[in-house]
Amino acid sequence: MTGAAIAGLGITELGKVYGRTATSLAAEAVRLAVADSGLSLRDVDGLLVSHGMSQDVGLSLASVLALGELNLLAEVSAFGATAGAMVAQAVQAVAAGAATTVACVFADTPLKPRERSGAAWGGRPGRSLRGLSGWSVASGAASPNILYALCARRHMERYGTTSEQLGAIAVAQRAWAAGNPRAAMRQPLTVAEHQASRWIAEPLHLLDCCLVSNGAVAVVVTAADRAAGLRRPPVHVWGYGQAHEPRQMRAGSNWGLVTPAAHSGPQAMRMARVGPDDVDVCELYDCYTYTVLVTLEDYGFCPKGEGGPFAADGRLAPGGKLACNTGGGQLSAYYMWGMTPLSEAVIQVRGDGGDRQAPRNDVILVSGNGGILEHHATLVLSPHPAHRSVTG
Amino acid sequence: MTAPVFPAVERDEASEPFFAAAARGELLVRRCPRDGAMLEPQARTCPDCGCGELHWSAASGQGTLVGWAVVHQVPVPTLAAAVPYLTAVVELAEGPWLMVRLVDTDERGLRAGLPVAARFVPSASDGDATGEILVAFAAQEAPA
Repeated sequence: MTGAAIAGLGITELGKVYGRTATSLAAEAVRLAVADSGLSLRDVDGLLVSHGMSQDVGLSLASVLALGELNLLAEVSAFGATAGAMVAQAVQAVAAGAATTVACVFADTPLKPRERSGAAWGGRPGRSLRGLSGWSVASGAASPNILYALCARRHMERYGTTSEQLGAIAVAQRAWAAGNPRAAMRQPLTVAEHQASRWIAEPLHLLDCCLVSNGAVAVVVTAADRAAGLRRPPVHVWGYGQAHEPRQMRAGSNWGLVTPAAHSGPQAMRMARVGPDDVDVCELYDCYTYTVLVTLEDYGFCPKGEGGPFAADGRLAPGGKLACNTGGGQLSAYYMWGMTPLSEAVIQVRGDGGDRQAPRNDVILVSGNGGILEHHATLVLSPHPAHRSVTG
Repeated sequence: MTAPVFPAVERDEASEPFFAAAARGELLVRRCPRDGAMLEPQARTCPDCGCGELHWSAASGQGTLVGWAVVHQVPVPTLAAAVPYLTAVVELAEGPWLMVRLVDTDERGLRAGLPVAARFVPSASDGDATGEILVAFAAQEAPA
């Protein structure tokens, strides 16, 4: 056993893809990922399924794909941390000999024709408000946009972080998106345009918030030595980590300022025997610009509170010191939850980035974030087999 | 900002004591009978000792501002008439954090740590049902 690797990647049509169910998209993504790896569906003996908002893909995917006897079949649900959690589970299953070939798939169809993308997150006809949960809704923090705005506000109040610094993250990712044919938003963006975009929940502008997309993404995980003999270059999994910390609602709570990334990241990097200085590329979960900023801090790329100036000095953009969200991320490319950073990491590890290929790709850090900065998963990926020394 | 608009909220069995207290101008939070921890009204388990039999306990209604947002985009249809509005996290003097609306408050001049106090506001009528009195907060004027 030489560890595990991602051997296949499948990405369906993404964005305003109407008239297809999440199950049909998921099946296509698995077929594409298996074909990409050079294996066949008959080789698949493990399937991990993740649904998004639409929640209409599940265990029945195995029969849709007419898979044979499986050693592993489960739905995995850790919100935006799911992709990393699925890959970690697949790696563990392969390492333990419990399965040989595990497909991990996410599919969602939150966008409906003739409906604003914001409607996917709570904008459909309401019910009457009852009890303490009704009071919570009436109190107004009734969507992720608003809850993340409260978190960003805390950071601004505590550390002096500015909206322009958040804007610099959106601008850098848009510059990367220009090189990604799959990205929905590729036209250049300026901080001034970010500042001029309408308020969603102040301090978050429209351009601080991710897109909403329909589609599916799958990866295939197998043993590293087996992957080395397959069709595409293996994407070795050097480390993984996971941390969950439901928000504490009382004095002394760090909610919004420190996230479970502060535990998940070091866990994954310890396993991979790397530190932040070794990382060439970050693919960070970016439901909001602020999520990127706080994750950079929690991973140790800069001290707590310095994420604003750190992110705003141009280093995250093409040509900068730390390639970050090289496909444009969920802000500019596509919103496939944790599969957005993971899919781009696979592309970068393989050197398939084309116009947006990062100059170095020896160590790529991938994050997934879920809930309101409450769930986190981290992966460390590399084109090299695990524990090969990384030359500086 | 114009006068705040609150959608109607009905009590259920579990929230009956909370809304009954709000109707007489009193804010209830949760208190752990074992170790005395004071927790938000929605808490079900004491994070310090694991106790799951939390009691209701009156809070002073005094607190400070932790964070806030000015909501412009309607998050759910029931809040369509409310935007733009101020929503906030406040820390009660007793320790619990509440997510509340800020009323009678000018968003300019808000800062973390600003003193705030509970306000008891009617929620809208919804058909035949009259909404409960809701707990909101207001910034306290700085002493002259």
